[in-house]
Amino acid sequence: MEQSSVLSGLRYLVPEVALLGAAAAALFTHIFLPRRGRRAAGLVSLAGYLAVAGLVLVSPRSAGELYSGSLAVDGFALYFKLSFLLAAALATVLAFRFFDVEGSEPGEAYYLVPLTVVGMMVAVSSVDLITTYVAFELFAIPSYVLAGIFKKDRRSAEAGVKYFFLGTLSSGVMLLGMALVFGLTGETQYASIGAALKGADSPLAMAAMVLFLAGLLFKAAMVPFHMWAPDVYEGAPTPLVVFLSTAPKAAVFALTVRLIAGPFGPFEAHWTPVFQSIAVLTMFWGNIAALAQKNLKRLMAYSSIAHAGYLAIGLAAWGEMARWAIQFYVIVYVIMNAAAFGLAQLVRKGDTFGENVDDLAGLVRRSPLAAASILVLLLSLTGIPPTAGFMGKYFLFAAAVGKGMPLLALAGALNSVISLFYYFRIGKAVFLDEGPAAAERSSSPLLVLAAAALALLVLGVAPSLVGSFAVAAGLGK
Amino acid sequence: MTILGIPALTFITFFPLAGLLAVLFIPGRRAGAIRIAANILAGLEFLATLALLLRFNAASGEMQFVERADWIRAVGAQYLMGIDGISLLLILLTSLLTFVATLSSWKAIADRVKEYYAFLLLLEVGMIGVFVSLDLVLFYVFWEVMLVPMYFLIGVWGGERRLYAAIKFFLYTLFGSVVMLVGILMLYSHYHTFDLTAMLAAGSPLPLVLQSWVFLAFFLGFAIKVPMFPFHTWLPDAHVEAPTAGSVILAGVLLKMGTYGFVRFSLPLFPEASRRFVPLIVALALISIVYGALVSLMQKDMKKLIAYSSVSHMGFVMLGLFTFSPLAVKGAILQMINHGISTGALFLIVGVVYERRHTRLISEFGGLASRLPVYAAVFLIMALSSIGLPGLNGFVGEFMILMGTWNTNWIWAAVAATGIVLGAAYMLWLYQRVMFGRLENPANQSLRDLSVREFATFLPLIVLAFWIGVYPKPFLTLIDKPVEKILRIVNPEAFPAAAAPSPRPGGLPARPEAPAEVR
Repeated sequence: MEQSSVLSGLRYLVPEVALLGAAAAALFTHIFLPRRGRRAAGLVSLAGYLAVAGLVLVSPRSAGELYSGSLAVDGFALYFKLSFLLAAALATVLAFRFFDVEGSEPGEAYYLVPLTVVGMMVAVSSVDLITTYVAFELFAIPSYVLAGIFKKDRRSAEAGVKYFFLGTLSSGVMLLGMALVFGLTGETQYASIGAALKGADSPLAMAAMVLFLAGLLFKAAMVPFHMWAPDVYEGAPTPLVVFLSTAPKAAVFALTVRLIAGPFGPFEAHWTPVFQSIAVLTMFWGNIAALAQKNLKRLMAYSSIAHAGYLAIGLAAWGEMARWAIQFYVIVYVIMNAAAFGLAQLVRKGDTFGENVDDLAGLVRRSPLAAASILVLLLSLTGIPPTAGFMGKYFLFAAAVGKGMPLLALAGALNSVISLFYYFRIGKAVFLDEGPAAAERSSSPLLVLAAAALALLVLGVAPSLVGSFAVAAGLGK
Repeated sequence: MTILGIPALTFITFFPLAGLLAVLFIPGRRAGAIRIAANILAGLEFLATLALLLRFNAASGEMQFVERADWIRAVGAQYLMGIDGISLLLILLTSLLTFVATLSSWKAIADRVKEYYAFLLLLEVGMIGVFVSLDLVLFYVFWEVMLVPMYFLIGVWGGERRLYAAIKFFLYTLFGSVVMLVGILMLYSHYHTFDLTAMLAAGSPLPLVLQSWVFLAFFLGFAIKVPMFPFHTWLPDAHVEAPTAGSVILAGVLLKMGTYGFVRFSLPLFPEASRRFVPLIVALALISIVYGALVSLMQKDMKKLIAYSSVSHMGFVMLGLFTFSPLAVKGAILQMINHGISTGALFLIVGVVYERRHTRLISEFGGLASRLPVYAAVFLIMALSSIGLPGLNGFVGEFMILMGTWNTNWIWAAVAATGIVLGAAYMLWLYQRVMFGRLENPANQSLRDLSVREFATFLPLIVLAFWIGVYPKPFLTLIDKPVEKILRIVNPEAFPAAAAPSPRPGGLPARPEAPAEVR
C-alpha cells in the first residue's frame, strides 16, 4: 500500500489516535505526578473521552474502503464509538468516589479503560477477519486486568482470573471459527467472504459460523455462555463493572451485526432460529435467576444478562428496523446499567458501600431525589413508560412482530413482567421499607443516578432525540 | 378549543402534572398547604374538564377537539388526542372522582402527605390520558403510567397486607398490558399506523385469524382491568388494602379503563372476532355477575363486600357491551358512570367509619343509624343506587342493559336478573347489619356524624345519583352518536335500513327502536 493512502486513511482514525494519546497522557500523569497523580490521571482520561466524543461527532465517514477494505468508518461504527465513550465516562465518574471510599486508587484503571475503548472503537469499524481479531483482543486483554485490578482483594482477583481464563477460551473458539472461515473462502474481508459463502451452507461453514458467533456471544454473556458474568460482576470493583458490563457487550453486538449483515448474511435461515432461542433462553434465564438475588451487583449482573437477551431479539428479527432498535437500546442499556450498578455505591455502610438490596431500605425518607431517580431507573429497566427502557423494548418488539415473530415479542414482553418482580424489590426497599439508608449528598454516584434518570425520562418521552441518530447511523452510511 | 392558550385536551391531561410539580416545591412539613394546594388543583382540573362541555357538539359521533402532531416519526407513532361523548363522560367522572378522592383524604392521610398527593395527581394524568388518546402507542403509555402511582398508593398508604396487594395489582395488570402491547404491534403490522381513526377509516378489516389473536391479546389486557372472572383475584386484595381514596379511584375509574378499552378498541377494530367470542365473554360476564354477588353475600369485611360487588356490577357492563344492542350498550356505558358514582361513594362510606373505628368488620357495627343519622341517609341512598332502585342512577343503567339483553337472548337476561336480586340481598343485609338494630358495641357510642367536609365529598355524588336516576337524557345524548358509530361496525343489523347498500344522499333513515329514555 502506498504511504500516502496510509496517511490519508489516518484522517478517519483521528478519534482512536486521540484517545490513544489521552491514554498515554493519563499513564504519564499517573507515573510522574507524585501526589494526587492518580486522580489527575482520571481527570485526564475523562477529558479525553469528552474530547474524543467531539471528534467522533465530526469524523469523516467511509463505507469500507480504508486500508485495503479492512476498516469501515460508517455511521454505524461512529454511533457505537459514542456508546463506548459514554460508558467509559460514566464509569470514570463513578470510580472517583468508589476509590475514595475504598482507600486505594489503582491509577492503572485510568489508562487501561481508554485503551480498551480504543480496541472497541477499532473493532466496530473492522470489516476484515484479522483486524477484527486484533481489535477484539485489544479490548479483551485490558478488560481482564480491569476486573482483577484490586490484586489484594480476593473477590476482585478471583473475578480477574475467572474472566481471563474463560475470556481467552472464548477468543480461542472465535479464532478457530475465523480460521475455518478463511479456510473455506480464502478471504479475510467480510465483503468477499459474504460473496464466497453464498450458497455454500456446508456443515463446515455452519461450524465456522457457530464457533465464530459462540466466541462473541460468550463476551456478551448470553445463555448458555453466561456463567462467568455474575461472579465477575459481583467481584470486580463496581465502577469497572459499569464499564465491563456495558461497553464490551455493545461492541460484541456491533460485531455480530456486522457479521450477520455481511459475511453470514446468506445463512439467515440458519442463524435466525439460533438467535431466537438464545434470546428467549437469555431473557428467561437472566430474569428468573435474578429473582433470588439479594446482592445488588449480582442482581444487576443477571439483569444485564436478561437485557442482552432483549437485544438478541433484534438479532433474531434482523432487518433495518432491528438494526436501529438495537442501536437505540444499546445507548439506553449503557445509561441504565451505569445507574443500576451505581446503586451499589450509593449508600455508605460503615467504611464501605452497601451492596445489598436491603441496604437501600428507607432511602426515600432521607434522599427523595435519589429515590425518585431510582424509581425512574427501575421503570426503565422493567420497560414501563414513560421511560427510555420502554421505548427501547418497544422498538425491539416491534421489529420482531414486523418480521412475523409475535411469539418472540411476547416472550420479551412476559419477561418484563418477571423482571418487575425483582426490580420492584428494590423499589419496595427504597419506598416502602423502613431503614436508615441515606444517599451521600452531592456524590458522584448520586449525580450519575440523577442524570441517568433524567436522560431516561427525556428519551422515554422523546425517543427521537437519540432514535433519529440511530435510524440514520446505518451500516455503510 | 384551547384553555389558557393550550389545546384543550393537552391542557386537561397535563394540568395535574403541572400541579404535581408545583406541589413538589412546597416543603414536606407544611402538610396543610399541600392539602389545600392539591384540593384546589383537583378542583380546577374538574372545572377545566367541565369547560369541555361548552364547545362539545353532542350531535356528532365524530372525534372532537382533535390534536395531532408527530411523536416518534421512525415508527409512525403520533401525539393524537380526541374525544367523543363516551370519552367525555369518563373524563368528567375521572376528574370529579379525583377531586372527591383528594377531599376525602384530608384526615385519612397523615404520613408522607406530599408524595401522596403527587401520586394522586400523577394517577389523574394517566387516567385522563387513556381517555383522550387515539394513537395506540400514546394510549399504551398512559395506560401503563397509571400503574406506578396506584402501586404506591396501595403500597405506602394501604392496610396491613399492602405490600402483597400492591405487587399483585402491579404484576397482574402489567401482565395483561404487555400482552396487549404485542397485540398493538400486530395491529401495526397490518395497518402500518397506530392511529385509531385511520385504522377504522382504512376499511380493510384484519383477516379473521389475526383478528382473533389480536382480540384475545387486547381481551387479556382489558379483562384483567375490568376485572372479569377468572381474572379478578387481584381486585379484592387491592381494594381492601388500598386507602379509601385509592379504592374510590380504583373502583370508580380504573375498572372503567377495561370496559372503555372494549368499547373504544375491541368492538370497532375486531368486529368479527368480537361477534365470534360473544359466547365466551357473555359466559364470563354472567359468571362474574352471579359469582361476584354470591361472594359478596358472605363477606365479613365491608370493603371486601363492596369490592366483590364491583365484579358483579362490571359483569353487567360487559354483558351489555357484548349484546351489541344499542340500548344495552348505551346502558352499559351509563352503568360505567353509575358504578363509578355509587361504588365510589360506598368506598367513601366505608372509609368514614374506618377512619373513626379502624375496623371494617361488619360485626363490629350495628345500630349506627340512631347515632349517625346523616351518615345513615347517605349510606341508604348509595346502597339503593347500587341495588338499582327506580329513581336512582343504578336503575336506568341496569334496566337498559337488561332490556337490550332480553331482546337479544332472554336466558342471558334471566341469569343476569338473579344478580340484581342477589345484589339487593347483600346490600340491604349489609345496611341492616351496620345501621339497624341496637347500638350495642360500646366503641360505637361516641361516633361522630359526618363533618361538613365529609358531607361535601358525598354531595356531588348524591346529586348525580338522583340526576341520572330521574333525568338521564343529557348523559344519554352524549353517548348516543358515538355508540351508533361503533355499533354500525360491529353489528350493522341493529340499524337495518342504513346497512342496506342503497346510497340515498342525505336520507339517513330513522333509527328502528325508540330509546328507553325518551319515555
